[in-house]
Amino acid sequence: MKLSPSFKRSLWVFHFNAGSCNGCDIEIVATITPRYDPERFGVRLVGSPKHADVLLVTGPVTKKMAPRLRRVYEQMPSPKVVICIGTCGQSGGVFYDSYNLDGPVDEIIPVDVYVPGCAPRPEAIIHGVVTALTKLERIEGGEK
Amino acid sequence: MDFTATLFTGTGFWNPIIWILAFVITSIVAYLIWRSGVSTYQKGTEQVKPYLSGNAEPEKSAVHIGGGNLYWGFTEGLKGYYSRLVPLHTGDLNDYMLWYFGVIIAVFALVVIFL
Repeated sequence: MKLSPSFKRSLWVFHFNAGSCNGCDIEIVATITPRYDPERFGVRLVGSPKHADVLLVTGPVTKKMAPRLRRVYEQMPSPKVVICIGTCGQSGGVFYDSYNLDGPVDEIIPVDVYVPGCAPRPEAIIHGVVTALTKLERIEGGEK
Repeated sequence: MDFTATLFTGTGFWNPIIWILAFVITSIVAYLIWRSGVSTYQKGTEQVKPYLSGNAEPEKSAVHIGGGNLYWGFTEGLKGYYSRLVPLHTGDLNDYMLWYFGVIIAVFALVVIFL
């Protein structure tokens, strides 16, 4: 994979739980442990969407979380990329016909990268983040 | 008088040229720091509002206590007392006269009954 030099800073990621069972969140936490250590490449979780380049969304998006997800997405500066982690965010998963769902994620905000799995392994999440990084590079390089 | 001359006061010195240079250098450094910020923030959107875990920013009046309300702690601590007392103060003289006559009648009644 060849990266363009247009994205010149570390990739900062914000994690948003939109009603997940915490399975995907645990895998995200596993991803940032020393075993995988993405921080050596500058990839780190940040505490505010206003500092982030990438939004990691887990969960099928409940009715209560939908407006909050919209607001968090709007608070991120451009360019921004959204990664949907796990099956629930893509289809609702086992909660697909639940009464309190507004999701899946791409019905609330635009999604750029999907990482399927229940829950996806850290390797898959890292692959998704790298895919997001290539998209950000293309956006900063001028591609629409 | 030479405006560019250095004035020695015994405890320091004053030179307008140095002050102007310091001001210019500080302004340049401040501009460089400002320019290195995120330029894609859009005014008038959610991006300029505080991040409150995704919650909407509440009205300032709902979360701020005005500086003029110095008695807030006092009234909050005596809320049970004030919640009963304040509604009685209607500002209507007829209400106050009714209270007056009511209390006077009650006192007379007590005096007549017990004395």
